[in-house]
Amino acid sequence: MSAKPKVAFFEFTSCEGCQLTVVDSLQDHPELLDTVEIVQFREAMSEKGEDYAIAFIEGSCSRPSDEPKLQAIRQQAAIVVALGACAHLGGVNAIRNRMPLQEVREYVYGDRAEWFETYEPRPIKDVIKVDAVIPGCPIDRREFIKAVTHLLQGRMPFIPDQPLCMECKLKENICVYTRGKVCLGPITLAGCDAICPTYGDGCEGCRGLIANPNIEAMRQVMHEHGLTDEAIDAKLSMFLTNQIMALEEAG
Amino acid sequence: MSFKIMPKAALPDWVTWLKNRYRVVGPTARQGQYVFAEIASPDELVLDYPTSVLPPKKYLLPQRETLFTFDAQSMQMKANIEWEPTVILGVHTCDMHAIRLLDKVHATGYTDQHYQAHRQHTTLVSIECLSPCMEQSFCKSMGTLTVPEDYDLHLTDLGDSYGVDVGSEKGEALLQGFTAIWDPTSEDYQRINKVMAEKWPRFSYRLNFDVTELPDLLALSNNSSLWNELGDICLGCGQCTKVCPTCYCFDVRDEVDLSLTKGQRTRTWDSCQIDRFATVAGGHNFRSTRALRNRHRFMRKGKYHLEAYGLIGCVGCGRCAAACLVHITPVDTFNELYRRHKKGEILEEAKQA
Ligand code: SF4
Ligand code: SF4
Ligand code: SF4
Ligand code: SF4
Ligand code: SF4
Repeated sequence: MSAKPKVAFFEFTSCEGCQLTVVDSLQDHPELLDTVEIVQFREAMSEKGEDYAIAFIEGSCSRPSDEPKLQAIRQQAAIVVALGACAHLGGVNAIRNRMPLQEVREYVYGDRAEWFETYEPRPIKDVIKVDAVIPGCPIDRREFIKAVTHLLQGRMPFIPDQPLCMECKLKENICVYTRGKVCLGPITLAGCDAICPTYGDGCEGCRGLIANPNIEAMRQVMHEHGLTDEAIDAKLSMFLTNQIMALEEAG
Repeated sequence: MSFKIMPKAALPDWVTWLKNRYRVVGPTARQGQYVFAEIASPDELVLDYPTSVLPPKKYLLPQRETLFTFDAQSMQMKANIEWEPTVILGVHTCDMHAIRLLDKVHATGYTDQHYQAHRQHTTLVSIECLSPCMEQSFCKSMGTLTVPEDYDLHLTDLGDSYGVDVGSEKGEALLQGFTAIWDPTSEDYQRINKVMAEKWPRFSYRLNFDVTELPDLLALSNNSSLWNELGDICLGCGQCTKVCPTCYCFDVRDEVDLSLTKGQRTRTWDSCQIDRFATVAGGHNFRSTRALRNRHRFMRKGKYHLEAYGLIGCVGCGRCAAACLVHITPVDTFNELYRRHKKGEILEEAKQA
């Protein structure tokens, strides 16, 4: 590739933590700026170019007026990458999708519920075609650099399709279940180097579900470790609401 | 070859002595469990450990290993065969049997240079288990409760001293010039006979049948409904295969740096228990269900390895059983197949298929 590919970053409903991780990745890999030309990145620059080939989109689509903006990005970009759990899964924002929208609005905005535009948070792939995903909450900076490297090679970013337990065991972590905690590692995608179990906490599922997860068995395990049905539902809805609801719908 | 006695009080000096000559690794305590790690100081070594999270095979077949590096511009590659003279202290006898199997696997057909390089420069100091390591172990059933012949040194805890069996020249080299050992007296021999005689009754058999019947039992069990039952409860998490001392499947990937100039090929442990493991070009998955994957694992452990290498693929360490969050265990699986076989169910299901 001769000319440096032009890339742009966009954010929708999110905390911008994934974009901050991108900025953070420059600490280890300043050469990133030699390999791509960033034309738009609100977190890091004020200029705004509309000519880009790769769009990294952070955040979920949480209101109807997000849709035309997403469509415009899709029209311009040759490659659209969903950046982080919000864009990938609908993120933490999607917790509310199990409740009636009107109730949620009233709970949050009180008597001004009608002032604010909102609907069910959804992953951006439900609105536009997405070519690749970099999962996580936030994304893993090494994985981001790897993904850019793959894009520069003309490949799609490789994301492991194994459960987190695989990575956790490679590190010889003590399983957090043996320490009286609960972990979603058996049904969650690996790739974060098992950062939560490594520091003694259970996985919350931020990278999304593996292919064909055994949700029933996972519930059984949590049950055996003392969680009530309600607590299990809460665990499974931190990041996975949309995915679990889709599985339930499919039967 | 020969037999020596080493007082326990001399062990720290010996470890220090070894450390000046080799990388020394052995069982160390971590968060209430034990992991093989480099011994920085002799008091980190715990020789009477129950069992380790990962088996010592990780020094012969590292979890992640760079196979070669390449220059993407000149298209030159350089093999990355690294080894360090290493002593592994405190290998349990079941793990010794597992290493024996790995030796055979990696010396058959396309031999694995990386494994061989690590192996040639590793000296194995095994240790006799005098009581069961944990509730899930069933080494006595699998015939792995005594050390196979290929140890370099083998230790037996005699109370205030270790009996040291020298099995090879590599092992002998670990003692050369170390003077705090002596030839056994008749009392030492009596002591070792007593310790060995007392150990056996502490272990109970866990298989309800003789292990020599296992391959035939599995051959009959191809269509058993037990596999579907296991598939229903299995998470497909792969923990059982990560902790297994006889598993050796890996995945290989190439990565280049951000400037696209240099790169490396690495391999990482993989597992037949995960969904995409058996996917081939075109997206076809040979073992698309958890039932098929469970069957495959137990066939490997109890039948295929014996046929291919003459050694059974499960050494009864029980690590997989301890790791499995849904309590799938080899002992229960094999015993349940046997029970159904006795009731005639296995043959019935075979006929119907
Ligand atoms: S801590 Fe979590 S990810 Fe690690 S082995 Fe246990 S269940 Fe799996
Ligand atoms: S199958 Fe289980 S018990 Fe057998 S050797 Fe492997 S980890 Fe140990
Ligand atoms: S096929 Fe499965 S059981 Fe056999 S070595 Fe590979 S991962 Fe282990
Ligand atoms: S399974 Fe048996 S041989 Fe292996 S460590 Fe445990 S007691 Fe020792
Ligand atoms: S550890 Fe248990 S749940 Fe996980 S893949 Fe193995 S058998 Fe299945």
